[in-house]
Order: sequence, then C-alpha cells, then structure tokens
Amino acid sequence: MNILELCSIVFLVVGAIFFLAGTIGLLRFPDVYTRLQALAKVDNLGLGFTSIGLLFQAPELMIAMKIILIWLLTLVASSTISFLIARRAMKRGVIPWRAKEHIIE
Amino acid sequence: MNSLNQLLAVFILATLSIALVRVARGPTTADRLLAALLFSTSGVAILLLLAFIEETLILLDVALIFSLLAVISGVVFAQRAWRTKEEKNEYS
Amino acid sequence: MILILRTTLWRSMFFTGVWWILIQGKTDTWFVGLISISLALVTSFILLPPNQYRFSFSGFAHFLIYFFASSLKGGIAVAWMAIRPNPDLHPNIYKITPRLPEGLGRVILANTINLLPGSLSVELTSSNLYVHVLDERQSIETEVRSIEEKIAHMLRLELKN
Repeated sequence: MNILELCSIVFLVVGAIFFLAGTIGLLRFPDVYTRLQALAKVDNLGLGFTSIGLLFQAPELMIAMKIILIWLLTLVASSTISFLIARRAMKRGVIPWRAKEHIIE
Repeated sequence: MNSLNQLLAVFILATLSIALVRVARGPTTADRLLAALLFSTSGVAILLLLAFIEETLILLDVALIFSLLAVISGVVFAQRAWRTKEEKNEYS
Repeated sequence: MILILRTTLWRSMFFTGVWWILIQGKTDTWFVGLISISLALVTSFILLPPNQYRFSFSGFAHFLIYFFASSLKGGIAVAWMAIRPNPDLHPNIYKITPRLPEGLGRVILANTINLLPGSLSVELTSSNLYVHVLDERQSIETEVRSIEEKIAHMLRLELKN
C-alpha cells in the first residue's frame, strides 16, 4: 500500500463518518432549521472529504478537475437550497425551536 | 482499494435511506424538502464512488446532473409548490 | 466600453475553462462548446450585467482559506453535537445589518454563512440579514464581520460603518 492510497482511505472514511453524523443530526435535531444545518453543512463536509479522497485515486488530471467542479457546484446548490427552504419556512411561520422559553423577536 | 470504495458507497447509501425516514415523517413540508438536499450531497457522493468502482467515468456527468436537478427541484418546491395562500392569490 | 470588453473577456475565459473541464479536454466537439459558451455568456450578461466589481485573486485566496478552515472547524462541532448523547442545542435567530453594499457582495455573504456550520441565513431583506445559529452562546457577529471583510477584499468593495 502506498502513501496515496493511505491518504485516499483516510479522507474517504472521514467523509463517510460525516455523512453518518449528518444523518443522525437529521433524525435527532428538534426543528427544520436545526435539521437544515445538520444536513447542509455536515453532509457537505462529508462530500468534501469524499471528493478529496477520490482525488488521490484519479487516473488523470482532467478527472480530478471535474470532481472539484462537481464539488463546488454541489456546495453552491446546497447553500441555495437551504437558504430557500429556511426562508420559506420563516415566511410560513414555522417557529424555531428554543432550548428555554424565550420570546422570539 | 476498490472494495473499500464499494463498502463506503453502500454505507453512504444506508445513511441516505435512514435519512429518508425524516423525509417520510415530516412533520412540516420543509422537512420533506430536505430530500432535495439529501440527494445533492449523499447522492452525488455515491455516484462519485460508483464512477471509480465501475471505472465508468460517465457517472461523473450523472453526478453533475444530479446536483443541477437538486437546485432546480429545490427552487421549484420552495418558490412555487409551497406558497402561502396570499401569495397564491397574488400570482394566479 | 472598456468595462464591457473586459467583463466579456474574463467571463468567456471562465466559461471556456468550465467547458474544457466538462468535456475532459477533448477537442472534437468544439462547435458545441462555442455555442454553449456564447449562450452562457449572454445569460450571464442578462443575470449579472457588467458592473464595477473588480475581482481580486489574492482576496479570493484569503477567502478560500478562511472558508475551508472555518467550515472544517464548525463542521466538526455540529457533527459532534449530532452524535453526543445530549445535543445541548441553543438555537436562536439574530438580526445583523451587513456593512457590505447591496448586491452581489451580500448574496455571497448569505451563501457563505449557509455553508459555514452552526449558522444559517433565513432571510435577506434590503437592510438586514437574519441568521439562525445552533449555539447562541457563541458570538456570530464577529464571525459575520470577518467574512464581510474577506468578501470586501475579494470584490474590492467598501464597507459601511
């Protein structure tokens, strides 16, 4: 096993752990805003690690660049979608969950 | 190397399926919209892994389309399908 | 006129680069590429007309480094929140008045906040940005201010006080 494969394995496994954490967050967090956070961020980090892990396995430069392009596109996609969902939820009056009883401004 | 890729693809697929429980359960429409996000991250990751397992690099293009479609479906759901009553009157 | 020419040049270089990556460096479909690049150029002019934004590459590099470092840091924090037995969430919504001028800068700011774990922009009005945070005990204000500085540097914008 060479050093490239080792790097690849480490990044891929860390990425998979982030995906698991994102899913756990999605199931456990109390309201749509916190769930959005779990999904949009932790999963994005998971995808980031997966992409970097695969970069080490890429047979040629063009493929590596394409993976980076896909990753960047997905980052922009997640950010846009989560903003739209959160804004729409606010407009529809989905009340954010609070740890203690507070008055929402 | 390849068997690890396979294992991880199955693993991410499993987390994706578990996450779909939340989509099915709701309770709000916003929770259901999260499916669009799920497929744009987990789905793309699975496709990237599959592209390397099968050495069919055309799957990279599929991943690209997935993430583009996720944006479109997200935007359509949030802007058009899930409107308030007043907004519906405004537009139609 | 010079502005339009310069914008056209930069954007066509950018789209050519993206196309070149998409087709993985092959050259046999150059005419499809030519049409696609022209269409992308026209669309970009409709959506974002030529303007005074001047892109700074060193600013972009600083922004990227900051972005990846804090998204890693915050991602680990949120992942840990999700996994540990007691999530200990203290969410709240803050109102922040951006110092960036209206337009592209603010859109990038809202999107960057979305991608940085622990914070989520929920609404962007003409004067305010509403940010949902997972832990209200950590100051989001300082973080938003430093992102603003990075974006201002990247697009060579002036910050209001």
